[in-house]
Amino acid sequence: MKKLALYLILICAAVSFIYPFLWMAFISLKSVGDAGARGLLSSFFTLQNYKAVFMEIPIGRALLNSAIVALSTTASVIFFSSLVGYALAKLRFSGRETVFMIVLLTMMIPGQLTLIPLYTLIVRLGWIDSYPALVAPWMISAMGILIFRQTFISIPDDLIEAARMEGCGELRILTSIFWPLSKPAMVTVGIITFMNSWNEVLWPMMVVRRQEMMTMPQMITTFSVGGQSGGELGVEMAASMLLIIPILAAYAFFQKYFIDGIASTGIKG
Amino acid sequence: MRTVFFTIIFFLFAGSSGAIELTYWTSSNPEEIELGRLLVRQWNLSHPDVQVKMQPIPATQSSEEVLLAAIVSKTTPDVCSNILPAIMGRFTKSKAVLALNAFPDYEKAVIGRTGAKLADLFRSRDGKLYQVPWKCNPVMLVYNTAIFRALGLKPPKTYSDFARAAETIAADRNNPGRWAMAVSIKTTWWQRLFDFYPFYVAATGGRTLLCNDSAAFNSPGGVAAMTFFRDGFKKRYFPMLGFSGNIFLEGKTAMDVAGPWVIKYYRRLKPGFEFDFAPIPVPDNYKGPVYTYGDPKNIVIFATTKYPKQSWEFVKFLISKEADLKLLELTNQVPMRREIASDPFYGGFFDKNPLLRKAARQAQYVVPMDESQHLVQILDIISGQFEAAAVYAVITPEKALAIAAKKTQALYDYW
Amino acid sequence: MTTGDERKDAIGYAFTAPYILFLLVFTAYPLLFSFYLVFHSWDLITPPEYVGLKNFYFLMHDTDFWQALLNTLIFLAIHIPAQVVFSIMIAMALAEKIVAKTFFRAAFFLPVIISGAVVTILWAKLYSTDTGIFNQLLGLAGIAPVKWLTSTGLAMPSIAVMATWKNMGFYIVLFLAGLLNIPAHLYEVSKIEGTTRWQDFWHITLPLLRPTMLLVVVLSTFGAFSLFIEPYVMTGGGPLNSTMSVVLYMYKHAFLFQHMGYAATIGFALAAIILLVVLIQKKYLDSD
Repeated sequence: MKKLALYLILICAAVSFIYPFLWMAFISLKSVGDAGARGLLSSFFTLQNYKAVFMEIPIGRALLNSAIVALSTTASVIFFSSLVGYALAKLRFSGRETVFMIVLLTMMIPGQLTLIPLYTLIVRLGWIDSYPALVAPWMISAMGILIFRQTFISIPDDLIEAARMEGCGELRILTSIFWPLSKPAMVTVGIITFMNSWNEVLWPMMVVRRQEMMTMPQMITTFSVGGQSGGELGVEMAASMLLIIPILAAYAFFQKYFIDGIASTGIKG
Repeated sequence: MRTVFFTIIFFLFAGSSGAIELTYWTSSNPEEIELGRLLVRQWNLSHPDVQVKMQPIPATQSSEEVLLAAIVSKTTPDVCSNILPAIMGRFTKSKAVLALNAFPDYEKAVIGRTGAKLADLFRSRDGKLYQVPWKCNPVMLVYNTAIFRALGLKPPKTYSDFARAAETIAADRNNPGRWAMAVSIKTTWWQRLFDFYPFYVAATGGRTLLCNDSAAFNSPGGVAAMTFFRDGFKKRYFPMLGFSGNIFLEGKTAMDVAGPWVIKYYRRLKPGFEFDFAPIPVPDNYKGPVYTYGDPKNIVIFATTKYPKQSWEFVKFLISKEADLKLLELTNQVPMRREIASDPFYGGFFDKNPLLRKAARQAQYVVPMDESQHLVQILDIISGQFEAAAVYAVITPEKALAIAAKKTQALYDYW
Repeated sequence: MTTGDERKDAIGYAFTAPYILFLLVFTAYPLLFSFYLVFHSWDLITPPEYVGLKNFYFLMHDTDFWQALLNTLIFLAIHIPAQVVFSIMIAMALAEKIVAKTFFRAAFFLPVIISGAVVTILWAKLYSTDTGIFNQLLGLAGIAPVKWLTSTGLAMPSIAVMATWKNMGFYIVLFLAGLLNIPAHLYEVSKIEGTTRWQDFWHITLPLLRPTMLLVVVLSTFGAFSLFIEPYVMTGGGPLNSTMSVVLYMYKHAFLFQHMGYAATIGFALAAIILLVVLIQKKYLDSD
């Protein structure tokens, strides 16, 4: 009896969490006249809303921009954060503790404080409407450094000594020994960074004005708020679907990493 | 090394001696792009030594933002013809535009065309003239002639006329759910340019929002205009919904507030749709000509230009008699040329386009917005008070305008 | 020997140099520049003008700012308790021995990974007065349509409910981890003493969840003070400024009015308020 109530609660909750997305998916596949219908199922499905999105706004370009920005941010965060993480975990140099303290400190600065000055910096650098504006300020993350440091510390020093004996440079040691040994950490950092970058909307809205440079969330927001969609529900939902499909696909494959990674680091978008 | 240097110099000169190239930015709406292409082609054919390259301002956001961004990055064009006079304050403050009255033939070219009275409205506060008055879109009352005919209505001249018309429209049993007019309940600053501001201008006989850096709108005329909208929302002449799409065109409303740019737009979207223009309604006791907001767009030469003289020649070409006719024909917007409605040169066009003759007559009674670096913020403040006093009616129009005036004062006091 | 140390030092510096450079440009400089900006008036075009404490003075008297702060606090006051209560409830349900646990966890986590922009656009449709599903469901029960986003009293609570829905999966997982860390033998003891489950919850579960609670509260405070895209998309800050958040207000000053100095001052004040609120939370939740 108790179990039954438990399942009832869980199923109701799960439905309320999934239904809106299903509704969105179905609306995006319905024809214009059908969209108002209450139920999910329709007599037939069509891709006309998706075609309309591609006709009305440069969504292909936005997808490309988002992919370029999110992938290069992710690659950069993994590379540079692991570099610093390795130095903090395995290299001895004066000032190491100071750097570590700084990493921890930067995590406590509320983003709202630096947002406007950061924007004026981008303006002064002449980076408005460019990829550097979207990528450069997020190239290294304190969270990434901490995760890599944590992971690398537990890797025995003997491995490093052995590699050094064989004449390996530190960079070689990092890339060919430490990276393969810390795949879960890399996936975690990669997923969190990619997700945050892919979903970010405030920053692009600040530094991008030209439609050709907009990322997906920005494009969809201006499309929806700016009234360009003409209030056509199906078209708006189709545009939104295009934004979430890549993340959903990644979620389907790396679900465990998403949940455990995001929860264990206490960071979210 | 030296040879390389000289070679570079040589090519630089060789490159520039061939032909001067000017960059010209236009608005991005299709009609104006067409006009710009046509004029630039004509110019380039007759001026092989000064070639003009035209470029529409990117359409994703307001042209003001694009222009300000261009000024920041020093990438402004030589000439731009889509300048909202209200933001000129910031352009002149940053010395981004040239003072045009320095050109010896300025008087003849600009005052001769526009007339001293209208041209004076665009005089900067330092006494100089940085902009060429180009064209306007007098904001007027548009009404659906079919609905008005069916209900035996005449276009409303006063607020009482408007109320009577609205009651008649609401009482029409054959068309339940039709509204007198749709007024945006959004608070985006420029929305007020199509409701409160033209009604305010009309009610005050052509006043603008500011006078000597302080609010002029907290006046009987301002209160009258605000009360008009408050009553309209209260008596449900205006719907309280955020509609999307063009409900006037669909016949769900009988009136709208718009400029002559809608003529082409309506004809394209709904051929055969019958509509006409009338002056903005005024308070019952108002006497005199009905003024309105002109929505003017002007031409400037940016200070970044290397060729001020050539740019000026091109600007004069853009405001020539023939170019103004093309402007009328292609964009259905009104050149700021005095007595254009009765000028025989344009008579043929107006005979074929009586709607535009109305707009051109109205164009003699238009005002721009004030030149102020705070203008957007002032309109934003008014918009917020419009929402409070008119849309939701939680405070009185008097109170709302007093608050707006106080907030406006604070802007000048602190910045 | 010295040379070896120097070599090590050199590698250490080489590995951290990109980060230091990055830090100087994108963290230290903006941080310092924010101290400069709050004393200046700057529209990006004309040179910055020193205005002393004018920005702060204007902020003190800016009723719109205080309204935005109040709105944000209202959001916080609804969002955080709702977040904590519902997340604990579902986490406790998931902590029981049930089938399809992974499925449920994944389902609750789904909104967390989806862009806030999409979630907001989607919910704006669900909240729609005429065609939204909430009013359709109410209609089935014979209840008149509710103005979820267009009435001053309901707009911010509606946004808070949506935000709770969006982030709950994340906090469920945090609480679940916290619950699984509680040693089972503690409950065994209470069984012997014959306490009720409710007493167990108050005397064992809740106290031991305190660290998780603090984490959840602090994280959602940071999140709640960043409220931006939700009101931007759904209400534009209206009706009557009732959903104008501080970040949206800052954005408006920076990008509509080009008041960089004042926008930076708003950010500065907000950061101070966030730290203050977090300190208070720490004081009440951290004391053992």
